[in-house]
Amino acid sequence: MSAAPSTAQLSPSAGAFVIAVGAAIAFGAVPLLGFDYLMDAVLTPFLALALAAVGLNLLTGYAGQVSLGSAAFLAVGAYATYNLHLRLPQLPLLVDLVLAGLIAAAIGIVFGLPSLRLRGFYLAVSTLAAQFFVQWALTKFGWFSNDNPSGVIDAPVLSVAGFTFTGPAGRYVFSLSVVVVATFLTLRLLRAQSGRNFIAVRDHELAAKVIGVPLLRTKLLAFGVSSFLIGIAGALWAFAYLRTVEPAGFNLDRSFQILFIIIIGGLASLRGAFLGAAFIVVFPLILSRAGAALLGGVFDSGVLEMSQRIVVGALIIAFLIAEPRGLIALWDRLWRAVTRPAAVRNT
Amino acid sequence: MTAIATDAGVLALEAAPAQGRALAPATTDTPDRRLAQAADCAARPVLALSDIALTFGGVAALRDIDLAVAPGEICAVIGPNGAGKSSLLNVISGLYRPDRGQVWLGERAFAQVPTAELAAHGVARTFQNLAIFKGLSVFDNVLMGLAHRVRAGFLRQIIGSPLARRIEAENRAAAEDVIGFLHLGDVRERSAGSLPYGLQKRVELARALVARPTLLLLDEPFAGVTLSEKLELSEHVRNARDLYGATIVLIEHDIGVVMGLSDRIAVLDNGSKIADGTPDEVKADQAVIDAYLGVAHQDVTELAV
Repeated sequence: MSAAPSTAQLSPSAGAFVIAVGAAIAFGAVPLLGFDYLMDAVLTPFLALALAAVGLNLLTGYAGQVSLGSAAFLAVGAYATYNLHLRLPQLPLLVDLVLAGLIAAAIGIVFGLPSLRLRGFYLAVSTLAAQFFVQWALTKFGWFSNDNPSGVIDAPVLSVAGFTFTGPAGRYVFSLSVVVVATFLTLRLLRAQSGRNFIAVRDHELAAKVIGVPLLRTKLLAFGVSSFLIGIAGALWAFAYLRTVEPAGFNLDRSFQILFIIIIGGLASLRGAFLGAAFIVVFPLILSRAGAALLGGVFDSGVLEMSQRIVVGALIIAFLIAEPRGLIALWDRLWRAVTRPAAVRNT
Repeated sequence: MTAIATDAGVLALEAAPAQGRALAPATTDTPDRRLAQAADCAARPVLALSDIALTFGGVAALRDIDLAVAPGEICAVIGPNGAGKSSLLNVISGLYRPDRGQVWLGERAFAQVPTAELAAHGVARTFQNLAIFKGLSVFDNVLMGLAHRVRAGFLRQIIGSPLARRIEAENRAAAEDVIGFLHLGDVRERSAGSLPYGLQKRVELARALVARPTLLLLDEPFAGVTLSEKLELSEHVRNARDLYGATIVLIEHDIGVVMGLSDRIAVLDNGSKIADGTPDEVKADQAVIDAYLGVAHQDVTELAV
């Protein structure tokens, strides 16, 4: 359901060609040509947010379990990676990353338990518990930040098998590789029976139960995999993008930001998660440039932030009313109009 | 037991649960019991209800219901609105727990049928208000009917282990088969939510049939569809029995629709079974005629007097 429509329109060889060109640009041209600003300020945060959105979309878009605790799992991933790296230095970074994801998954499963009894709005409120609890625990117990008085930790250098990923290009390529692999595996899961079970539970829980879909296992799997992905995204956010971590960076605003990404991008679509993340990252940059050009000095950072919130808020409302399937639906329609204008006019 | 073996018809209806009850205490797996099972499994009812009672806060939805459905039978449960038809189906599928009585699925008795294991016991059902998965394609909806057969864990599904691939291939073949059987090939890739109502009903039937259930429960399969769709659907229901070997219990509001389709009809009124027999017997039954024409119930009359 996610990537099927666009690839289905292309023949297999054309699809492979598009993927090959995309990969060549993403892995080759961008880092080699050295758009440092682009990679540092746009692409790396985009990748981390996109992976978090993939995680939340699996839970909310596919399995229908609303969560407002995404930032908590980002924080768990970031702090777990930091502590694993600090306390078990013999482990390679990639192992740290996977273990951090598993820790986030375990915590996600615990906070997913209420989903067996609660749904919709009530479940969303109960996932807020994760948000507040994790932030409180990370601030309260100095052990998590290695007793650093400010609670802020510095990220270690990313290194895998002797290669160090320093500099914007290195950190970008590292993030890109992790996100591509994680997204690919998620896509495999969603196209298998587990993915169908998620949608079945979302669309008609009772019918799913009668058919023999294990509700408990399916919901907890969704919480676990979702938190795993968000945890890894948190580690990328902290170590590849910010390079410092503090609990305040993972507040409720961040949870909402990820929720907005999937609403704007498109629920139950992995491509939507990427499109939404791109929008959320690029939009403030465009807005600030446009504002500065049009209004000059009046458009300071305070006005920028305010207008940004207003526009995003208005967009959420507009999408929920006019196109609940988000940007990706607009994108698909545009794509069809470009490739097959006659077919669109007929429908 | 012998009575059942010789006469699988009306006689078995009351006899089966009683004989079941007699067997129930001896749940130990003695060789005698296994022999006894082997002997009567041929004619043992696929579904038997014994003495089912269900109340909702003082309102009796079902009282003293006994019913047995023989293998390969199409049994219709009819009755006016509020007669307890849907409650009965919900008791059979474990959504309600009866206050009294037992549900026998084959040789196993339940005080409440475990809904989550329904598919594993070879029971499938449809719902009165459509319960298809709107976000999935028609093919994936049908595939969902085999969800309980997927034993491979999610990691195996991700990496595509031989076990996961084999199960997936088997299930796809089975789904393909039912799609062809119910003529859904033209819409197999369409999103199920975008189809017209009659087709959605057919998708739901396909999803129930794909697991080749021994017992198929249909909750008002003909409600809200056009006459031509009704004829088509009843043809599909008959084929489901003839070609897939499913025993079918269906609920219907309208007595006319099920006359030609059913082998047996049980009539519910006001929570009680007032008639049970062949379509012709039921049609001539005075109690049924009264129920459908709206003669006051006995207890109500007594109260009035």
